[in-house]
Amino acid sequence: MTDGEAAQAEVDALFALVTARYGARLDAQQLEGLHRAIEAIVDQARAVRAVRLVNTDEPTPAFRAHRRDEPAR
Amino acid sequence: MTLDPVFMPLRELAGHVRARRVSPVELAETFLARLEKIGPRYNAVVTVTRERALAEARRAEEEIVAGRYRGPLHGIPYGAKDLLATGGGVPTTWGAGPFRGQRLAEDATVIRRLSAAGAVLCAKLAMIELAGGMGYRQPNASFTGPVTTPWSPEAWSGGSSSGSGAAVSAGLVPFAIGSETWGSILSPSGNCGITGLRPTYGRVSRHGAMALCWTLDKLGPMALTADDCGLVLEAIAGVDPADPTTSPRPYRYAAEDGPRRFRFGVLAGALDGVSEDMLAAYRRSLDVLRELGTVEDTALPDLPWEAAIRIILQAEAASAFDEFIESGGVAELTAPEDHFMPYARDAVLAKDYVKATRVRGVMAREADRLFERFDVLVAPGRLTVATPLGQEFRGGMRGTARDIMGAVGNGAGLPGLIVPNGFGERGLPTSLQLMGRAWEENTLLAVGRAVQARTDWHTKHPPVER
Repeated sequence: MTDGEAAQAEVDALFALVTARYGARLDAQQLEGLHRAIEAIVDQARAVRAVRLVNTDEPTPAFRAHRRDEPAR
Repeated sequence: MTLDPVFMPLRELAGHVRARRVSPVELAETFLARLEKIGPRYNAVVTVTRERALAEARRAEEEIVAGRYRGPLHGIPYGAKDLLATGGGVPTTWGAGPFRGQRLAEDATVIRRLSAAGAVLCAKLAMIELAGGMGYRQPNASFTGPVTTPWSPEAWSGGSSSGSGAAVSAGLVPFAIGSETWGSILSPSGNCGITGLRPTYGRVSRHGAMALCWTLDKLGPMALTADDCGLVLEAIAGVDPADPTTSPRPYRYAAEDGPRRFRFGVLAGALDGVSEDMLAAYRRSLDVLRELGTVEDTALPDLPWEAAIRIILQAEAASAFDEFIESGGVAELTAPEDHFMPYARDAVLAKDYVKATRVRGVMAREADRLFERFDVLVAPGRLTVATPLGQEFRGGMRGTARDIMGAVGNGAGLPGLIVPNGFGERGLPTSLQLMGRAWEENTLLAVGRAVQARTDWHTKHPPVER
């Protein structure tokens, strides 16, 4: 499978998922727009996935444990 | 009242208030009348808060007469984007029809801080529905109608702080509060020819503001000058236990910075897709900046800056409005594209969202590294002058144009300032944007003041009666 085919397969699968959830609410024109929006999301996701990170690259902002009486930072 | 307060910079207006040459009640009456009479012309206003404004103005007047002057915002009218909660039965609509009757219990922290500074809330200002987070792509995306720039009845004010931009530009309020997730202070400030400041993420409490994207939302001032923005920022900045993302770093506006030289950088890609008229104004601004320091080209590492921030924004916005989207409420929004675009966000996978937040950490470190060599990054304020009503706009948030400055600035949580720098096609304002290191709002404001001391674009106002 080429890279383009893999991307298209992902778009198709995600479109199927989203339309299974919400398709009944949308008309043909809206479904077309939805498909384009999902294509854009897959493009963005693939760009992000291509970045090489190391194990210690943490999400931002980091989660903080909570205590009600903790003073504001 | 013998003096004309409309289009008067805050420091000058404050001097008149303090010296009791004008009373807060007179000021409130003047701007309330303008909001009521002229505001509808631009669709700029959702609610005029006349009763509250006059009560606050009377209190300010009594205090000032009694010698209890609070500072430069005491007795000064302002407007707030209608995503900031206001108690007392004043609606907070988030710009969206389904929320037009929403009444929240208490004021947002920013509103409370402005009240504590003695400022007078005169209006809740129009905005793009849900701050544009549902995917809108054209100006008609508010239940109050598209907001027009006061420079042309046929051109958009920008968004999502649409009414804040138009109201300041038309002299309906001396300053306003806007919010930015990606471009929502800079866009209307640029389209309306005013000065807008996007503070560092965490500088200003978002408690009581509609959440669109928890890790990207910022609140900031929109006004006539950089000095005005500094005065307002000092009043609203600071740690807030109700917003755990706020920083304990104190903020004092350094209005009297001594003379200094600045190192300006121009990011590779920052001029991509920019229209000729914006580029012409930008080149003139570079001549001004060269009087203030050095200007050099620079570049950031090849990272998916825009894609990562779009992933984060879409995922968080979908979660912030999860119940509303699931309920099908989006079908009641104004923009047709907002009826289906939110559903697409279910296609953002959890692992991709988390990876985007990790990439964002790398991006923030790389952006900060750049500021070892530069004080300020500069670029044209927008891609084009204001979009005609009825047309789709291009932008980084939508993914229809590059916006490296917007992606880096919002992604890394950096402060940004936009100032008017001329006029372009159709006689509409052009603009210059500046971006600084985290917590360096004062550096941006110093550059903004220096630019505005050498140019007079900020003193040009649209054709509107005084």
